[in-house]
Amino acid sequence: MSDAKNQIDETIKANDVVLYMKGTKSMPQCGFSSRVAGVLNYMGIDYADVNVLADETIRQGIKDYSDWPTIPQLYVKGEFVGGCDIITEMTLSGELDQLFEENQIAYDKDAAEKIREANA
Amino acid sequence: MSKADRIEQALRAAFNPSALSVRDDSERHRGHAGYQEGGESHYHVTLRSMEFEGQSRIARHRAVHKALGAELVASIHALSLDLGT
Repeated sequence: MSDAKNQIDETIKANDVVLYMKGTKSMPQCGFSSRVAGVLNYMGIDYADVNVLADETIRQGIKDYSDWPTIPQLYVKGEFVGGCDIITEMTLSGELDQLFEENQIAYDKDAAEKIREANA
Repeated sequence: MSKADRIEQALRAAFNPSALSVRDDSERHRGHAGYQEGGESHYHVTLRSMEFEGQSRIARHRAVHKALGAELVASIHALSLDLGT
């Protein structure tokens, strides 16, 4: 097993919600990462952010890990959930709320509803 | 052949789509990360196909990545997908 894979395994096991992104949750460096981090921030999710721009082996390693060619990538309870398009769709459809509920992850339901109202 | 044409051709062959549009959004990202002179960096694809019936969102996206091929996917900075049946 490669170092990158070990490291990713450890990170997504140690944290219920992890976002692999370009930049950080407080300073995203890409519009797509920014959109997903923005949703999680707004919904009050307690999550770990991993800046792939800070580590080239993780940047490539996370793509190999999930067999997914793009960043950002969201993981919940060790499972890959999706990238920007999928998270956006799931936010608007309410599936993301459901996923957090099923995994007993605290989130702000009112904030999620506000996002949906604003994008209706 | 433009990259948009290559994307469209690959998707048409793989999915027998009932609707397909490939939009080059590169100009909207001028000055942003990943923008390259001449464009062909940012695309938005809308695709409707019965091939997606019963597939999860992740499976649909993976099928599109596969149909385009690793080389084409790697050459696009940002590929936004709207996939449905």
